Amino acid sequence: MLQYTIRRISILPLLLLVITFSTFYLTRWGPGDPISVIAGQVRDPEVLAQIREAEGLNDPIYVQYVRWLGDASRGDFGESYIRRGFTTWEVISPRLWVTGQLGIAALLVIFPIGIFAGGLGARFRGSWLDPTITLSLLFAAALPGILVVAVLQWLFAVQLSLLPVGGWGGWIEIYWIAGIVAVPILDPHIYIPLTAYTLGGFVGVARLVRATVLEVNRTDYVRTARAKGLSEGTVQRRHVLRNSLLPLVTVVAFSLAGIIEGSIIAETLLGIPGIGSFLFQAIGSRDYNAIQALTVIYSATFIIMNLVADLAYSLVDPRIQVGETS
Amino acid sequence: MNMRDSEIDSRSPIDVNKKSMSLTAAVWARFRRKRLGVLSLIVVVSLFVIGILAPVLSPYDYRETDLTSALLSPGSDGHLLGTDRLGRDLLTRTIYSIRTTVIITAVTMLTGGLLLGPVLGLLAGFFGRWTDVLISRIGEIFSSLPALLMMILINATLDERLRGQIRRFEDWSGIDGLISTGAYSYFLVFGTLSLFFWVGSMRIVRAQVLSIRELDYITAAEALGATPVRILSRHIFPNVAFLIILGVSSALAGIAGSELVLTWVGVGVQPPMPSFGSLLFEGSGARTVRAYPHLLLVPGTIVTLLLFCFVLLGDAINDAYRGD
Amino acid sequence: MSSRQLSGILLGVVGLLVLAIGGLSAILLLQGNEQETTTTAVDQSVSSTDKVDLSGRELRLPGGEPVTLDPHLTTDAVSGAYIVEIYSGLVTMNAELEIVPDLAESIEISSDGLVYVFSLREDAKFHDGRAVTAEDVVWSIHRAASPELRSTVTLEYLKDIVGVREYYYGLKPELAGVVALDDRTIQITIDSPKPYFLAKLTYPSAFVVDRSQIESNRNWVRSPNATGPYKLAEWNLGESIVLEASEHHYLGLPSVHRAIYTLAGGSALTRFENDELDVAYISINDIDRARDPSSSLYKYYQATASMSVSYIAFNVTQAPFDDVHVRRAMAMAIDRKTIAEITFNGMTMPATGILPPGVFGYTESDKTLPYDPEAARAEFSKSKYNSSNMPPIVYTETGGGASAGLDTQAFIEQWRQVLGLEIEVRQADWASFLDLIDSNSAQMWGIGWSMDYPDPENILDIKLHGESRENNTLFSSPEINALLEKARTNFSVSERIAQYQEAELLLIEAAPWIPLWFGSNHVVVSEDIEHWFEPPMTLPRLQHIKLRD
Repeated sequence: MLQYTIRRISILPLLLLVITFSTFYLTRWGPGDPISVIAGQVRDPEVLAQIREAEGLNDPIYVQYVRWLGDASRGDFGESYIRRGFTTWEVISPRLWVTGQLGIAALLVIFPIGIFAGGLGARFRGSWLDPTITLSLLFAAALPGILVVAVLQWLFAVQLSLLPVGGWGGWIEIYWIAGIVAVPILDPHIYIPLTAYTLGGFVGVARLVRATVLEVNRTDYVRTARAKGLSEGTVQRRHVLRNSLLPLVTVVAFSLAGIIEGSIIAETLLGIPGIGSFLFQAIGSRDYNAIQALTVIYSATFIIMNLVADLAYSLVDPRIQVGETS
Repeated sequence: MNMRDSEIDSRSPIDVNKKSMSLTAAVWARFRRKRLGVLSLIVVVSLFVIGILAPVLSPYDYRETDLTSALLSPGSDGHLLGTDRLGRDLLTRTIYSIRTTVIITAVTMLTGGLLLGPVLGLLAGFFGRWTDVLISRIGEIFSSLPALLMMILINATLDERLRGQIRRFEDWSGIDGLISTGAYSYFLVFGTLSLFFWVGSMRIVRAQVLSIRELDYITAAEALGATPVRILSRHIFPNVAFLIILGVSSALAGIAGSELVLTWVGVGVQPPMPSFGSLLFEGSGARTVRAYPHLLLVPGTIVTLLLFCFVLLGDAINDAYRGD
Repeated sequence: MSSRQLSGILLGVVGLLVLAIGGLSAILLLQGNEQETTTTAVDQSVSSTDKVDLSGRELRLPGGEPVTLDPHLTTDAVSGAYIVEIYSGLVTMNAELEIVPDLAESIEISSDGLVYVFSLREDAKFHDGRAVTAEDVVWSIHRAASPELRSTVTLEYLKDIVGVREYYYGLKPELAGVVALDDRTIQITIDSPKPYFLAKLTYPSAFVVDRSQIESNRNWVRSPNATGPYKLAEWNLGESIVLEASEHHYLGLPSVHRAIYTLAGGSALTRFENDELDVAYISINDIDRARDPSSSLYKYYQATASMSVSYIAFNVTQAPFDDVHVRRAMAMAIDRKTIAEITFNGMTMPATGILPPGVFGYTESDKTLPYDPEAARAEFSKSKYNSSNMPPIVYTETGGGASAGLDTQAFIEQWRQVLGLEIEVRQADWASFLDLIDSNSAQMWGIGWSMDYPDPENILDIKLHGESRENNTLFSSPEINALLEKARTNFSVSERIAQYQEAELLLIEAAPWIPLWFGSNHVVVSEDIEHWFEPPMTLPRLQHIKLRD
């Protein structure tokens, strides 16, 4: 186990190297470059060539990559091409925070509701409620995010004028009633993206909880607890639910993958200034530095979450042997 | 939707010793008892048939524009589901979008799920040692990549290159229309989807091969001097083929969903070839929905039905396989 | 996990749910009161400060995210819109598009048209109150042209000044054409007499920046000290930009004290209807509503022309567009009027020529090749190409989304129906598009041109003169070239207009371009604005906007 963990962690830098080099090569291989995009329609080829030379874009790709790697390892992701005068990190970090806030909020919604739904399913196993819950959560997961956002926007923002059409205002807003009473409420901007992020995530959590609850219910110590005459409510609270929550660590990674992918769509559709919507600007304008930085952020998140999930999996379920080579 | 790992749990391979011969029959018997599963299978099959017969069923050509009958509501004369902004028949475009989904899912299953993944899995499981280590590590790399980001990046940069190659192919072969209809972009979508889709079936196959290898008859065959190719194709492949089909069918929703997003972003299926991604793109936007709801709701309903049935089908197969 | 922890988690969950539900119901409840609450808040802030009443002096606009606010580096219209408010130069353009002195008070031009002498106004001041000196202007132009800055646009706008080219390429250490005669006088010498030179000086390349700030602060561009009527008060990346009137500007305080540009967030029109914005641009989906006299938007709606033209360009060295008959036939085969009316719902204005309205020399009469399928087929039959030797044609356009432009799809269909041409559309993102045009590998493409100043030179000479670097069609006609060169240095206004108009007609006949649409803006403006100014090109605009008291 320890050996496996060490191997997985030691492979991390190598993974990042492979990924960053692939994107580095890909972006420079495709047509167009940031210098040309910035110049726009008034362009003097000689001037552009001069700038490329000075920026080192004419060097062999591996030379450029080594240079980038050197800078990046010191935390320097270079200057932004499409926000001149700002470093890539300055452009990305506020956006990262926005996406992060939404992601955390989404996890905070997915897990409680998913756990509740799963527990409910297990409790009412055999009745009509159990399959209904599973089925509706499956349906929610099948809904394409594009459709969800468009319909919610139309319904809540355009028809009912309850929520803003898009944009971002943080998580919580303070409303003043008569200038005296402060009421903190969730910022109205958050509802539509949050719904879009979370719809696909419930089913995974709910099912895992349902399955583990049923399994734990069958274990000896729960039966013992019941035999001791503890009330069913206490048994459920103390023993069943408690032991069913641990495996959830493993779905965090899975949920996060869904959230990140959902953020690309929802942020673009709703004009939320996060990294998901920025990704398109960066690719479209060939902002090499921004693309590299985003790749590092996304991949590192993914890889680490996967690792955590795999390790958690083996901890939770001793029957699973990770790193088997039989 | 995460499509890299098929839903089938590759970590706990079933005991082939006891079940391998009757597995297909057993799973099918269990599947048949699941009403929802059977229902979704019927819906999926009928949608596939509609997709395959698209040119026959469609009342119009999917490219045919008619400016004088633009933006008709559903139920208008000659246009059952209305028309879009250029007067193109929405029913036709929806049927062709189904075809796009059918082609993309079918080919990705073939290339990624049934070809690339199983072959690599067989190789890894059969040869073991460094082959296994290499293939497993590559699989590990791919399964820990942010798939959607990578697919968007690859498609955005490779599109121009691919066009050039396909144009050369058109000139050389005399085949026409790959580019002008947008059909060439299928290759790009297959390619990238397969690239991120083989890991699941590779793992299933590898795990199965590892357990089958322990069986006596393989050892016997080896002792008799059969070539690895012969052992693979005669003894191992038949045993795992069914598992692969299970694996890929449970990932259908993931493939279709990814194509939807790629096209919506503009790096998937290219116009004028319709796809649900481009139909939703044209129909979405709060103001468009208000003015012309059918542009969003018609393709939206169909694609949701399709995805839901894919999910239910994968789910039912998975349950049947696990013996629930 | 202990049961205490567990109940903590559950409590958190319940709390979150309550918060969410409470929030939603609070929004519902406060919907009606929102207006009231915000005004109270503003009133309080006003009474707490003794400043001028700002409550009615704020303008909330939709905006784009600028690439840079450095006037010497900017190339795009989005950044330009902010830059012209924050910075200024010797001359500017007023609302009527006339060139007027700005930081300069008077301009003297030598009789040979080569030497310009500018005297600075005494009350020309930076945002921090420091007076503008001749040295500031000279240093700024040197910076714009410096080899270290490597601006991609300086040469285009300042190349007429003697020595700029050599200075830019590092061949000479001095820029001889720009000198300070004394503290308040600047002399600029150009290479040949050009009637449009002053117009070029209105471009940001010639704007004044603060040397001491630039040399001391690497990040100066985030809070530039400049000479324009507004200063940059806030720049929240991805969120908002706030401009505030400069109290040191010579025009005095304008009607709009603060302009808040929102950079993020969904449909501007819905935000306008929710009173989150004072102005919104209207898209094709809402134009019917805006034009309908019974709709709530109708009284706010305005449509204005913008000085731009979109067109299809041909690479005339590539088959089949090396044949003028093919180009002309394609121009005659498309029915732009019907497309404008039906597909664009009357929102676009079919181009009547190459010169858009506002440029001098523009006339309303339609000079373009008329839509006529019969004539198009006749023209096509005169060409050396027919169905057997017609090479494949690719039409390139910019686009990142999932579907091609509406007009493009309509044109493709008409070329197929009228001429039997199967044309393939290639949608390239902006980066790939520029690459294709630069390498002369595109056959035909759709693009637009926005005027930088209302002189025909800015489009005919730059984009269609045979020797211009910006001419990507590679079209060159000695007759037209000669005409354009004559007009370049002609100081007789009427003769010059006639020469450009003649060149325009010849260009339409030779058809290296098919002019498609003239730009227009469709906008709704809140009742709080007494006078809205929608500039036809990038101009300082906030100072012309009047808010209702």
